[in-house]
Amino acid sequence: MIARVALLGNPNSGKSTLFNRLCGLRTKTANFPGSTVQHQTGRFATATGVEIDLIDLPGIYSLMLEMPESKLCTDCLEGRIGDGRPDAALIVLDANNLARHLQFAASALRRGLPSVVAINMVDLAKRRGLVIDEKLASQTLGVPVVAISARTGEGIDRLVEQLTRTVSGGSVANPDRPFPESEPGSIKSAIWAAETFGRIAAHPPEVEADGMTVHDRLDAAFTHPLLGIICFALAMSLLFASIYWLAQFPMDAIDAIFGWVGLEITLFLPAGVLEDLLVNGVVGGLAATVVFLPQIVLLFFLLALLEDSGYLARAAFAVDRTMRRFGLPGQAFMPLLSSHACALPGIMATRLIPNQRDRLATILVAPFMSCSARVPVYALLTSVLFAGRPILAGLAFTGCYVLGGIAGLATSALLRRTILRGPSTPMMLELPDYRIPSIRNALVVSIDRGYFFLKNAGSVILAIAIVMWWLSAYPKSPFTQESIALQARASEVVQSDPAAAEDLQLQARRFDERAQQAHSFAGKIGGALQPLFAPIGLDRQLTVAVLTSFLAREVFITTVFVLAGAGADADSEDQGTLATIRSATREGGLPLFTLPTSGALLVFFVLAMQCLPTLVVVRRETGSWRWPLLQFGYMSVVAYLAAFVTYRLMS
Amino acid sequence: MAFAPIRIPLSQLARGQRAMVECSALDALPSEHRCLLAAMGLGEACEIRVCRPGTPCIVQIDRTRLGLTREIADRIMVTPIESNSP
Repeated sequence: MIARVALLGNPNSGKSTLFNRLCGLRTKTANFPGSTVQHQTGRFATATGVEIDLIDLPGIYSLMLEMPESKLCTDCLEGRIGDGRPDAALIVLDANNLARHLQFAASALRRGLPSVVAINMVDLAKRRGLVIDEKLASQTLGVPVVAISARTGEGIDRLVEQLTRTVSGGSVANPDRPFPESEPGSIKSAIWAAETFGRIAAHPPEVEADGMTVHDRLDAAFTHPLLGIICFALAMSLLFASIYWLAQFPMDAIDAIFGWVGLEITLFLPAGVLEDLLVNGVVGGLAATVVFLPQIVLLFFLLALLEDSGYLARAAFAVDRTMRRFGLPGQAFMPLLSSHACALPGIMATRLIPNQRDRLATILVAPFMSCSARVPVYALLTSVLFAGRPILAGLAFTGCYVLGGIAGLATSALLRRTILRGPSTPMMLELPDYRIPSIRNALVVSIDRGYFFLKNAGSVILAIAIVMWWLSAYPKSPFTQESIALQARASEVVQSDPAAAEDLQLQARRFDERAQQAHSFAGKIGGALQPLFAPIGLDRQLTVAVLTSFLAREVFITTVFVLAGAGADADSEDQGTLATIRSATREGGLPLFTLPTSGALLVFFVLAMQCLPTLVVVRRETGSWRWPLLQFGYMSVVAYLAAFVTYRLMS
Repeated sequence: MAFAPIRIPLSQLARGQRAMVECSALDALPSEHRCLLAAMGLGEACEIRVCRPGTPCIVQIDRTRLGLTREIADRIMVTPIESNSP
C-alpha cells in the first residue's frame, strides 16, 4: 500500500528538517499531475510495510492568505491538484511557539482530512522547562499528537507509527471539534489557542526580559546598517574561502582517479577510435565536470548550515536597505541567495513575493547571481589568473560573486526606472531562534544536490562531451607535411638516440593534432564564428567552448578539455585534468588561457545568460516569451561589452 | 511620569518597551499585510516587546520575533503599557 501524505506547517516549524529526517535521500522534485507547479516528494516505508509518499508543501502562515503558496496548499488538500485528496495530512508545529502554531493546526484540521500533528523542537522546549501532555493534546485536537525533535530524531518512531495507523484508517480527524471558525490571527482563534495551550502544556513562568538579552544584541548587530553588512560580507567571504580551500583535497583525488582510469584504458585498448572516444570523450569529458562535485556539495552544505542557524533571516534585513535602494524588495533576498546555488529554485522561490513588479524584477536579475554551474568555470579561470597564489585566487572567486551581485542590482535599478516603475512591498519576516545547525540535515540536502549534479553530468553533459568529441575528431585530416618530415627524422635517429626520437614523434603528433583541430567540424564552426569573439580574446577552440556553454555553463570545461586539452600535451596522462586544460595551447603555440583572455572569459561567464533551463522556467513563471528573450539579449550584450573592456584593460 | 499617549505608531516605541496591539491597530495597512501579520502572530489583542527600534523594527510577540521595515512599523498603532523612558 502506498499512501499520500501532505506535509503542512509554518515557515520555521522545522518542516524541511522533518521531511529530510523521514525521507533521507529518497526524494524527487516533480510536477503535480496536469500542472506546472513543482513540489518535492519523498518516500519512506514504515515497519509494517506501508509506504508513504510525503508531499512537501511550502511553509505558510495560514491557509486563507491571498498568496500563491496558501492557494497551492489548499488546492492540494482539497484535491484540486495532484491525484485527488491526499490520504492524510502531517501537520508540523513548533513547540516553542505553540500557541500561535495551534491556530494553524486548528485551521488545517477543520478541513477534515485524517491527520497527525507533530509538535517539533521539543528538545529546545524541554530545556526551557516546557512539558507537553501528548495524551491531552490528542484528546483536545481529536487526532494523534506526537512530540518530536526532527533534529535529534526523538519521537520519530512514534510519529511514523501514528502516521501508519492513520493512513490505514485507524483515526480520522473530526471536523465537528470545537475549533474556532475564524482563521489564524483573529481574536477568537487566539483565545482558543491560548486556552488549548494552557491545557496541554505546562511551563514554568517565563522570566520577562527587561533590557537587552543576548538574542536582542545579536539581532541588533546582524541587522545594523553598517555592522550587519560587514557581518554579511565576512560570512560570505568565509563561506567561499572555505569552499575553495576544503574542496581542493577531494578534487585532487577525483582528478587522480579519472586520470588512472584513462591511463588503464590506454594500456588495455589498442590505439584507435574506441580508445580515443573512451579516453578523451567519455572519461576526460566526465572528469572535467565531476571534478567540481566537491565544490557544489560544499556550497549546498554550508548554505544549509547557515540557513539552519537562523542567521539568514537577519542577513535579509541587513541587505534589505541596500536592495531597496536598487528597487528590489526584501523578500527578494532568499530567492537571490538560492540563485547562488541554482537559478531554477531561486526563480521559483520568487512566488513568495506578493507584488508583481517586484517579482518580475527579481526574476530578471536572478541569473546574474553566480550559480553552482559557474563554480567550475570560476575555479578554472581564477586558478589560471592566479596560479600558485590561492589567496588571490580565492579573492577573485569571491569577486565574481560580488560582480554578479552588483550587475544584478544595477539591472534592477535600471528596470525600476524604466519598464517596471512603482513602489516595492515592505518586508515582514519572522526571525527564527538561533540554533546550532543540524549537520545531518545539511548532509542530506547537499548529498541530494550532489546526486542531482552527478545525474546531470552522467546524462546531458556526457552526451554533449561525446558529441563534442565526434565534432572534433571528424572528418579526419591527413598527416601534415611537417609531421611526415619529423617522423622520418625520428626513424633515422631511433637507434642512436631513442629519447630524441621520442621527442620528435611527440612534435609530429602535435602538428597532426593541430591540423585535426582546424580540419574538424568543431574547428570549422569555431573558425566561422571566431571573428565575433576575437575582440574578447577567444581563439577558435574557445569560441566553440563558449558556444556549447550556452546550453549549460559547466559544459565549457568539458568542451575545452575534449577540444584542446587532450591534444595539447602528449604527457597529459601524467597530469590532472585541470593541469591539462591549463597547459593547453593555441595554434601559434601561445597558451590557450592567456591572462587577458582568462580575465575576459571570467567576466563573460559572470554576466552571460547561458542556461537553457532557466529561460524555460522564466517563460513559465512570467507567462510570456517576452521576458526570457529580453533577459537573454540584455545579459548577452552586457557580458560581451564587459568582457571586451576587461580584455582591453588587461592586454 | 507623564501619561503615555493612548496610541502611537509602533516605530516610536523605545527598545525594551511593551505595548498592546488592540482592535483596529492595523487598519492603516492594506488587507493582505494585515492578514499576514495576524497569521504571523501580530494580530489584535496581543502584547509586543520592542527588541530593536528603527529599521528593521524587531518586535517580540510571545516567543515569536518579527522584523518589520519602517513603513510597516509606522502604520501599526499600539498602546504602550509601560514606559522605560522617563
